[in-house]
Amino acid sequence: MKSEWVLSKDHLSYWLRQLRNERELIGPLRDGGKDILFRTVDMLHEIVLECPSSLPSPKGFLFPQYEAMFSCRGLSLSDGSDGKREISDLRDRTRRVIFGVRSCDVSAVRLLDAFCLGKLRDPYYEERRRNTFLISLVCNNPDPTCFCLGLGTGPYLEEGFDIQMTDLGDRYFVQAGSPEAVRTVRAMNFFFRKPRKVDYEDQYEVFLSSKARFRKRINLEGPRQAILSGKVGDDFWQEVTDRCFECGGCSYSCPVCTCFTVTDRINPEGIERARLWDSCMFKGFTRMAGGVLPNEKRVQRTKRWYYHKLVHYPRTTGKFGCVGCGRCAVACPGKIDMARTATKIKGLALKEEVE
Amino acid sequence: MNTIQTVCPYCGCGCGLYLHVEAGRIEGTSPSKLHPVNGGSLCVKGWNAHEFVSHPDRLKFPMIREDGRLRRASWDEALDLVARKLSGIKTSYGPDSIGILSSAKCTNEENYLMMKFTRAVLGTNNIDHCARLCHSSTVGGLAAAFGSGAMTNSINEIPEAKVLFVIGSNTTEQHPMIGKHMLEAVDRGAVLIVADPRRTQIAEFAHIHIRHKCGTDVALLMGIMNVIVNEGLVDVDFVRRRTENFDAFEEILRRFPPDVVEGITGVKAHDVRRVARIYSMEKRSMLFYAMGITQHITGIDNVRACADLVMLTGHIGLPMSGLNPLRGQNNVQGACDMGALPNVFTGYQPVSDSKTRTKFERAWRRKLPGGPGLTVMEMTDSAYEGRLKGMYIMGENPLLSDPDLSHVREAMKRLEFLVVQDIFPTETAEYADVVLPASSFAEKDGTFTNTERRVQLLRKAIPPVYESRPDWEILGDLMTRMGYRMNYRGAYEIMEEIALLTPSYGGIHHHRLQEGFGLQWPCPDGNHPGTPYLHRRKFARGLGTFIPIDFVPPDEPPDREFPLLLTTGRISFHYHTGTMCRRTMVLDREEPECYLEMNPLDADRLGLKHRSMVKVTSRRGSIKVRLYVTPRIPEGSVFIPFHFKEAAANILTNPAVDPNAKIPEYKVCAVRVEPLHAPREVEKPPVVDLEDLRIT
Ligand code: SF4
Ligand code: SF4
Ligand code: SF4
Repeated sequence: MKSEWVLSKDHLSYWLRQLRNERELIGPLRDGGKDILFRTVDMLHEIVLECPSSLPSPKGFLFPQYEAMFSCRGLSLSDGSDGKREISDLRDRTRRVIFGVRSCDVSAVRLLDAFCLGKLRDPYYEERRRNTFLISLVCNNPDPTCFCLGLGTGPYLEEGFDIQMTDLGDRYFVQAGSPEAVRTVRAMNFFFRKPRKVDYEDQYEVFLSSKARFRKRINLEGPRQAILSGKVGDDFWQEVTDRCFECGGCSYSCPVCTCFTVTDRINPEGIERARLWDSCMFKGFTRMAGGVLPNEKRVQRTKRWYYHKLVHYPRTTGKFGCVGCGRCAVACPGKIDMARTATKIKGLALKEEVE
Repeated sequence: MNTIQTVCPYCGCGCGLYLHVEAGRIEGTSPSKLHPVNGGSLCVKGWNAHEFVSHPDRLKFPMIREDGRLRRASWDEALDLVARKLSGIKTSYGPDSIGILSSAKCTNEENYLMMKFTRAVLGTNNIDHCARLCHSSTVGGLAAAFGSGAMTNSINEIPEAKVLFVIGSNTTEQHPMIGKHMLEAVDRGAVLIVADPRRTQIAEFAHIHIRHKCGTDVALLMGIMNVIVNEGLVDVDFVRRRTENFDAFEEILRRFPPDVVEGITGVKAHDVRRVARIYSMEKRSMLFYAMGITQHITGIDNVRACADLVMLTGHIGLPMSGLNPLRGQNNVQGACDMGALPNVFTGYQPVSDSKTRTKFERAWRRKLPGGPGLTVMEMTDSAYEGRLKGMYIMGENPLLSDPDLSHVREAMKRLEFLVVQDIFPTETAEYADVVLPASSFAEKDGTFTNTERRVQLLRKAIPPVYESRPDWEILGDLMTRMGYRMNYRGAYEIMEEIALLTPSYGGIHHHRLQEGFGLQWPCPDGNHPGTPYLHRRKFARGLGTFIPIDFVPPDEPPDREFPLLLTTGRISFHYHTGTMCRRTMVLDREEPECYLEMNPLDADRLGLKHRSMVKVTSRRGSIKVRLYVTPRIPEGSVFIPFHFKEAAANILTNPAVDPNAKIPEYKVCAVRVEPLHAPREVEKPPVVDLEDLRIT
């Protein structure tokens, strides 16, 4: 069964409107300063179909920066609960459809799935993930910072998407990758038509031209090998680290990073437990009881961030912990980012080979 | 989910950010990718700016002190009481017995209203705010030299500069996004010169790092200028056409040849020459300075020296070429612009000028006082002596931010009536008779002016939490109750009034700020696109003035009893008195306790161990902190961040002030450090006697 269709551009907004009847529609919109952000769509015509990548990534819809987990009343008498203990689950159950996600972000969600829904299941993520449906657009115009091409995480995907759409000028090539996606399209199949030969050819052409537009071609396997063979010394990491402002932006903006911390808020109405984004770039992230800081030196933390993405991820999941979205290059005030660091490591390894 | 474009509430960089609102709650923050200041980055405070907004500690309802305890009250009750008490004090002791502290954390509109309240309703000029404690020397010093005290260039010009001279600024930690642009400039080949006794992060990137002794900045700058004059590096054309008073200045400059300067500052004469040559030879040179220059008893002189340096070399009035004071608070520039100062109205129009006063009198329909009011420190002193009876403090925390805290505490106790209006319970609120809950940056509209004079719109993301109200509403209500009718429908109407009365804000209206990223003043009319760099062709005051200055050593040099020199400052994870950041989980966890930085050599000599607890004592008090041994700080000096109420560095600091700017000398005082546990034999360290070095 081939789950492929063609949708005329004229019918896009009708389709989205139908989807919106059942779910909250999220899409890339321009904000006051012309920045692209994902948020709830009020006016369908405001969706920006061709835009640079959003900052932040859509990760926040599955794993928000501040997420209330549960609240508890009755631990003290002052919250007006007569001492009866009451715990309410605050899991978010909104059904969402996110339109206009990029391929790299879909790949990142697959990595999050592997991490959060593996042996240990994260119920908060699971609930949101189950209720979120992703419609991705093939990038036919990658940003200068993008390097998904070398990682196979974009600009289009062979599998792993819910719905993937390719812009063919006057129409979209629509591919459904999950049973739910197939059902969604079938439910409204009167305005989808079966693809013809010319559609396949056009789609292939879009893929080719998109690939040709990448400015960065980075393969992370080289740097991984270099690290594994011990060619990258601590002085290299020190040099990288010197520029770190300890802002955490790399982890916050990365669609793959999942560091979080948990806090309790004691409100008059009761206690709320929440989790919030954190970053392994902070020394307090691994503070021990008693105040010992195992990673007090900044260099240890930078190194760990890269080791996790380049060495530990491949070892445990077979994939790099980076999807080449280029957001760390935008967010880092010190201009330390995956692409740059990988290039530097490669240069280092090459230099050693020559010597 | 909705995203609201707004401005970071922490530092003066004024980064653009978005608040993510889900079902009436702020769920996250993200940087604006196209913003000219931060371009997609934020520092750790900005990334976590949403968290404190809904913190359970927020002040929830107005409170009134009764029988020594604060009890909940209604807005009507509280405001009526404030109105009655202030009017009472005004009638029985005169308007000048009331002091007002406005806030660099509040919007321009709120500062303007506070100023109007003080001058038109109360009838006094006793209004000031924390700029006194950070950049009053800039406002005073640059106003005298150029006629306007603000950053002359824009932040996004920095990457194009060729020489960056940073003096007394820990830029990457305190103004991270300016630091970001500086690194960018260095990447593009600019020469970076850093003058700072501490080895800060930015100093790691410096081509030349000068570690002069704390408090010897004037000597250092005079030495540099001496070389410039002697080696013929002066921009003669510029000095002739655009400045005056050069001869008198040159006279005094002769006293500072590099070898004398070496004796005072400890900087090699050779380095002084190098810096002079590098700085003066390149037109695209930007000079930056911050608290390291201003927070001294010679604050104004330090600033004047900087101004003299840029005039001597003609490095001003061009893009990428100018003098850039880095303002600390998100809206300290705005609060000064709005005239929350004892001697000026908005846009630095002097209260002593009768023409200006008439203009404001006609607009406000009230008689206005003409003599200058009290500054922050004078208010404290005057309250201590019992002359000041009432104070109204909006969004400030003098009980942690002012020097010599024990004195401030006593002064607050002696007040007859104290109103504190804030978002969190502060140390100061413990002494208040009425506490009014204000709304945070996410709950109101208004504008902030960042350090590069960019006026940006702040947008309401959520309704005010609990019973809190935006500061401008509270003030408007109070003024009405005191018989001065106020009926602004929104912050934009206040901005209109500001534009009407302030030439440099003449064309700044909210509707013009809706799109894009704000306007930089001066913006005299509705079509003006804003001014990216100042003093083009002509200084604000006409000709720039060289002001002769002399070197004066710090007020309290180390001596036998207090052998170490204490300097205070900030760290990147915290912000000032910590009311907001210490209620942010990640920030507080990073640096949960106060520490003291000490050079390994001093630590060895005193027999102190890394991470042990020590007691630091000055003439005014003592605190207990954890010791952090690091070569970042030079021998003979120690450093304490001042954010922590458990160990408030300002218990130690010296309240001696600059005679003109009245800025206290936070950066230098003498202390003694002792181990808290298990005392050992302590050897006396050598004594540096700055008195011997004084030049006469
Ligand atoms: S490491 Fe950087 S480029 Fe890779 S996925 Fe994360 S943010 Fe994107
Ligand atoms: S974004 Fe850059 S500066 Fe910030 S923590 Fe990451 S590496 Fe450091
Ligand atoms: S640099 Fe300043 S304005 Fe920017 S995010 Fe950090 S604290 Fe906020």
